[in-house]
Amino acid sequence: MSEELWQRCLTRLEDELPSQQYNMWIRPLQVAASADGAELTLFAPNRFVVDWVRDKYLERIGEVLGEMQAGSLPHLRLEVGSSRAAAVPAASAPQPVSTPAASPAGPIRTPEPAEVRSAAPQAEVGGARKHRSNLNTGFTFATFVEGKSNRMAAAAAQQVAENPASHGYNPLLLYGGVGLGKTHLMHAVGNELIRRNPNAKVVYLHSERFVADMISALRNKTINEFKRFYRSVDALLIDDIQFFAGKEQSQEEFFHTFNALLENGQQIILTCDKFPKEVDGLEERLKSRFGWGLSQPMEPPELETRVAILKKKAEEAKVDLPNDAAFFIAQRIRSNVRELEGALRRVIAHVRFTGAQIDIGLIKEALKDLIALQARQISIDNIQRVVAEYYKIKINDLLSPRRTRSVARPRQVAMALSKELTSHSLPEIGENFGGRDHTTVLHACRKVLELRESNPEIEEDYQNLLRTLTS
Amino acid sequence: MVAQLPLALQLREGNDLSNFVAGDNGALFQGVRETVMGADRQAFIWGAEGLGKSHLLEGAVRLAQQEGLEACLLPAEELLPLSPGVLESMEQFDLLAVDDCQHFAGDRHWEEALFHLYNRLMARGGRLLVSASAAPAALGLMLPDLATRLAAGPVYRLQPLGEEDLEALLIARARTRGLRLEPEVAHFIVLRSERSPAGLVALLNRLDRLALAQQRSVTIPFVKDALGW
Repeated sequence: MSEELWQRCLTRLEDELPSQQYNMWIRPLQVAASADGAELTLFAPNRFVVDWVRDKYLERIGEVLGEMQAGSLPHLRLEVGSSRAAAVPAASAPQPVSTPAASPAGPIRTPEPAEVRSAAPQAEVGGARKHRSNLNTGFTFATFVEGKSNRMAAAAAQQVAENPASHGYNPLLLYGGVGLGKTHLMHAVGNELIRRNPNAKVVYLHSERFVADMISALRNKTINEFKRFYRSVDALLIDDIQFFAGKEQSQEEFFHTFNALLENGQQIILTCDKFPKEVDGLEERLKSRFGWGLSQPMEPPELETRVAILKKKAEEAKVDLPNDAAFFIAQRIRSNVRELEGALRRVIAHVRFTGAQIDIGLIKEALKDLIALQARQISIDNIQRVVAEYYKIKINDLLSPRRTRSVARPRQVAMALSKELTSHSLPEIGENFGGRDHTTVLHACRKVLELRESNPEIEEDYQNLLRTLTS
Repeated sequence: MVAQLPLALQLREGNDLSNFVAGDNGALFQGVRETVMGADRQAFIWGAEGLGKSHLLEGAVRLAQQEGLEACLLPAEELLPLSPGVLESMEQFDLLAVDDCQHFAGDRHWEEALFHLYNRLMARGGRLLVSASAAPAALGLMLPDLATRLAAGPVYRLQPLGEEDLEALLIARARTRGLRLEPEVAHFIVLRSERSPAGLVALLNRLDRLALAQQRSVTIPFVKDALGW
């Protein structure tokens, strides 16, 4: 009865309010009526929404309800939570103390659990509370595409999965730029640990979740339970530890958890977007401890690996992606795997819409905005600016006739990048570098190619520059 | 003579996917529907102002609700005066639609809040639609982690509608107001007005009110007269 009344109230409010406000604040409220219909509880996801709705809309909601129904009205309550709340924490949070304000009204219905989550590994921890591994079962070693850029990291991860907490591999720290597969490898280890030992307590979480849990534990005075929980796992997987930066109390707590786990021979796996020593706002003692085990960098995948990744993703999506088409995409999306997959998704969406086969023409059409955007971002000017900044020289040095090594090498690199990343002709490139001849450009490109093969430092510089320019 | 004032009461026309004129945006339109239905986990839509991004997102939220899903619209501009804490626990929805995401760009707190929300939502199996004025890489986001995540699904550019589609849109919108608009009148208006759906709908609202006040039907002479063209 009361829920039906709320539906009628919604129809009225939809007519009264700007649709944006209605769809943000009113329609998403979840409703639960008490059994006798005397009370109607509206649930909002957090206290900010509750406060806002109370300030701006609650009075009007009460009025509309009054107009809708003569006689006694249900008592209206506004609370943080969800009418599905009772089932939510089990499905969403792996930790014991992250439950938001509980719903007094009880569950109306249960949510579908996330499809990709592992449901099996649950364990009793610290009393009646349960946890989930929160691992994405799709991220395994089998679905990870290896290449030159990530082979060492993959081998280290495999080693940890086979011999957890072995000397020299604890903690395992995977670091590198965004979208390069750190999280995938981390989950792969977790999944493999559980495959080998279904009773293993493996917990994956993002560093933000650790911080949020700790704050909530402090607030609810359950910090001891928090500590017990995190120290009881066989393997703790924490993603993106750079987000601990500046959060001193969380770092303190994590430091102790970290030490306890290491002492007891439990495995820790961490990811970070850069080498931890370079993260500002992270305590020195943490940085130093992160280096106790094995730190493995992950680099952007080279062309062949990008092609292999695309082929694999296409296969998973049951789409036929010809080799030349895969090369075409891989040559244009260089920076990271996530965007590579996004581009493939866009192509697949185009195929679904047109019903056509994938070929280069179709890809050009589907990705034309992306390609145009890149073309705009990558100009010779832009390359010169980025290269000059990278080598800490002046742009004018690149254009000048000076031939000292400290200037000539960056100039050659900038020319090679211009040839690779823009569609300018060699004479045009030469012209843009202080009016040089096209044979000079050609020589520079050959020289850089040669140096990249013989000198890892130059190869690394080149890859860093490519990444900066194409991300 | 004083013009008769039309009643301020007007049937609200909902932003529905059913009254969205897709034009050349067929793949995008289907992509949005498929994200709601779960075939894709996320989609990003970018384009100039007034082309219908908000309409699409509101329509998607409605479709989700009709399908029995919990869905919430998150208009960045409306949220900006509040604390980023407003995104807490939003992952409890099956579908979130973040409109005008460019307003979050450059604000580290909002970007981080959105980044974490993205992670939580995806971990739960939720779906995400995001609209913005530019593609993820061109939004000027401070967090590269966020930019790449927003680009991890299909990224669509909303193309402006051609003349014929704009005329069809105008006629359809007029019809839902109970206003008869002949094709030649629609053609006349489209040729002379701002070529965006939002601009045309605003113009139609003006014409509707004036026609009602003056008790006239919407003809070319009336339009010339009313708008001073």
